[in-house]
Amino acid sequence: MWLFMISLALVSPTALAEATRNVLVLYSYGRLLPGNLEGDRGLRDGFAARPDLPVSISVEYFDNLRFSGEAYERTFVAYLRDKYALHPPEVLMVAADEALDFVLRHRSELFPQVPIVHMSILDEYLQSRPPLPADVIGTPIEYDFVGTVAQALRWHPTARRLVVVTGASPWDRGWEARVRALAGDLPPGLTVEFMAGLPTDELQRRLRALDPGSIVFTPGYHRDGSGREFTPREAARLVAAAAPAPVYGPFSSFVGTGIVGGRMADYAAIGRGGAQTAIALLDGADPATVTRPKAMPMALQLDWRQLQRWGIADRAVPAGAIVRFREPSLWEAHRELVIAGIAVILVQAGLIGALLFERRRRRRTVADLARSEQLIRLAAQAANLSTWVLDARSLGPAGIAHVTQPAGSPRGPLADFSETLARISPLDRATVDTALRDALQTTTEFDVEYRIQDANGEWAWQSARGRADRAQSPRLLGVAIDITPRKRAEAQAAEDRAALYHMTRVSLLGQLSASIAHQLNQPLASILANAEAAQKMLEREPLDLVELRAICADIAAEDQRAAQVIRRLGVLFKRGESVFEPLDVNELARDTLEFTRSILTTRHVAFSTQLAPALPLIQGDRVQLQQLLLNLMVNAADAMADLPEDRRHMSIATALQDRDVRICVTDRGPGVSAEVVDKVFEPFWSTRPGGMGMGLAVCRSIVEAHRGRLTVAEAPGGGAVFCALLPVRASP
Amino acid sequence: MKEEIVAPTVFLVDDDPGVLKAHARLLGAHGFKTAGFESAEAFLAQHAAAARGCLVLDVSLPGLDGLALQRRLAQAGCSLPIVFLTGAADIPMSVQAMKAGAIDFLTKPVTGATLVAAVRAGLEQDALARQATDEGAMLRQRYASLSVREREVLAGLAAGKLNKQIAAALGITEATVKFHRARLMDRMQAQTVAELMHLAARLDGLR
Repeated sequence: MWLFMISLALVSPTALAEATRNVLVLYSYGRLLPGNLEGDRGLRDGFAARPDLPVSISVEYFDNLRFSGEAYERTFVAYLRDKYALHPPEVLMVAADEALDFVLRHRSELFPQVPIVHMSILDEYLQSRPPLPADVIGTPIEYDFVGTVAQALRWHPTARRLVVVTGASPWDRGWEARVRALAGDLPPGLTVEFMAGLPTDELQRRLRALDPGSIVFTPGYHRDGSGREFTPREAARLVAAAAPAPVYGPFSSFVGTGIVGGRMADYAAIGRGGAQTAIALLDGADPATVTRPKAMPMALQLDWRQLQRWGIADRAVPAGAIVRFREPSLWEAHRELVIAGIAVILVQAGLIGALLFERRRRRRTVADLARSEQLIRLAAQAANLSTWVLDARSLGPAGIAHVTQPAGSPRGPLADFSETLARISPLDRATVDTALRDALQTTTEFDVEYRIQDANGEWAWQSARGRADRAQSPRLLGVAIDITPRKRAEAQAAEDRAALYHMTRVSLLGQLSASIAHQLNQPLASILANAEAAQKMLEREPLDLVELRAICADIAAEDQRAAQVIRRLGVLFKRGESVFEPLDVNELARDTLEFTRSILTTRHVAFSTQLAPALPLIQGDRVQLQQLLLNLMVNAADAMADLPEDRRHMSIATALQDRDVRICVTDRGPGVSAEVVDKVFEPFWSTRPGGMGMGLAVCRSIVEAHRGRLTVAEAPGGGAVFCALLPVRASP
Repeated sequence: MKEEIVAPTVFLVDDDPGVLKAHARLLGAHGFKTAGFESAEAFLAQHAAAARGCLVLDVSLPGLDGLALQRRLAQAGCSLPIVFLTGAADIPMSVQAMKAGAIDFLTKPVTGATLVAAVRAGLEQDALARQATDEGAMLRQRYASLSVREREVLAGLAAGKLNKQIAAALGITEATVKFHRARLMDRMQAQTVAELMHLAARLDGLR
């Protein structure tokens, strides 16, 4: 394999010499730009001058006037790289600033090391940017605006006014700036007037009104004041047609559109010059030493018909001027000019065809857009979605409680969201208002749920989601959907859950009835005995008042104790809505132990507690969590029923674990075997005969409702340890 | 010796201090001498084995519970009568307690009349038992003072044998049997043979 590659490398220089050489030409603008067409012809002529050097010329158009943006550049780079991966160019030729800049920007990913020949770049532009790398060479061009105007003044000595016509695109603005900078170099006494960035109609109207004593200069334009796109050549034609004064321009491609002409570099010559430089590089010349003209030769290029029109005599035309479109007698002598004319016509026809094609495509795009909008509307209807828009100005400073109607009604399928806002429940206004304002400020998506009153006065739930419209700030765009059925289902589920909790709680309390009776009977026994003792003491003289007072105090205290038991029971028996409040898990554990103490005693279960001091509060439902602990403790006691009495021990431990408070109930029973560890939390799973199997399922449900986790593990030294992890309450 | 000094006491064991205090007051108001303990262990550690009286015992206690204490006392030969109290009636438990000789099994809250009646019954039983125990000890003492030959003659008499039959069985003369009989009747403080027979039967029951 290596041998093969080495031999290939040895052979390749000769093989390459005979092979076709690859040249890639990248134009800044579109394919049909007349300047590009002429330049391309000159370039091909230039290469054709060396028949011994077979060259394959690939041409690409960056088309920067119409297409731009980061994504486009990225895609274009990838496109070029992938397309020429197998046939990489040996010389890269770029025409005009944009193509040069683009290639230099992406040189590391796009044909690094390949020498670059630039064409049609203004000398002043090269001066204004950092120096080019040594292997980027070319002959700069110049536009001789001052020379052109000076020549015109020689032909129209009475002219007092120079009108400069430019357009609205950045390219056009560049020209305007360039001409303004040069206006100082013009002869004094000449008024310079700019018609820049006007709509073409307006421009033509104003040109028609010009007095014949004016001179017009135009580089054409790519876009007029109304945003319409042109080629500079088209624009020049329109300007020349409208103006009752002679028109001059900087580009050779303009000759024939109705302008008189100007001092200009020939695009064909630029192309030929570029080809010559490229050939030198292909021949192996060092880019630094390739000889090339310092500047492109400039010539006065003129339209013979326009010379006739403006009464410019042949003898007034300086020697060396290139005069085109001379009348028929000259046609046969200048066959190539005729061909060039036909070519121009063909090009024009192509241009028209392209424009027609463009128009058809645009129409199709519009139709596609309408179709896609309809599809979106259908989809929205099917999903019961409404799309809306909200003018940020309709959000009053005091919040949506003071929604004002927006100035204009929104267009298209978008509903006005401010109408919705006006019907939102006062309970949800603040939430929605905050969400909308945040979305406007951060441009992130918002998602908010609220209650809303419909036309019949019925309340419904809606969910809205949307984001700020970057294109047309300040406003929000979004969708709204009716979520009443979901909310109802959620409420039903919450109710069912509460019913289940209650049912299992009552069933648990039923199991504990002996213990509860014991807890109630203790204070009752004490009260009865105290009261009867007092009765007996009252029968005897003298009365022991000290003891009688102590008895009364004890009766009152024992009564309080009974009331406390009943209160605690009442809370557990009550079926109420879930109420979340800040809770101390240690206090909860102690309170629950107080409740289970008697059952643990009758079952001979000793217990110990390890409660971590100063635990942070959690957010929880007191009754539910008490049910959880009660259940775990009773389970622990049940698990140890078969153990000798002196071995029955349960421990309750609390601790802080990361952001959670952990509470663990550990027993010394048989533990939970690996086979059933996944099943214990499932509903209807029970080890107790007659057990419903809901206890642990409900425990887990309760813990999860607190956004926590309930786990079971083997306790060290046998037995099971059930731990509930409950998240610490977010800072109040 | 102690028996003379220590009056019958009602011992109360309940882990609930409020209940313990109230029951002590109630019984105190009815003229009983009481002593309260909050756990079975505390009672075992402090009470004298020969103490007279009765025990009012809560069934459900942490550590050693009521039924376990009952067993422990029986094993130690302590015959203190027990009145059980419970916070929640539990039939198997009460059956077990009564089988093991409890005076009563009462559910809290218990009225003064019921509790006092049960305690009285307990004290009465204790007094009877102690009386019986005292007579038995006396009989045993008298029996211990008999010689081997006198005991053999007493065993023969208790078995309903004639003097002649006893003499033949022991290989002595009938006159010698009569001599021994007179001595043992004297030593057992029996006035008649019938009384001697009764004492022998009680001794048999005590053995």
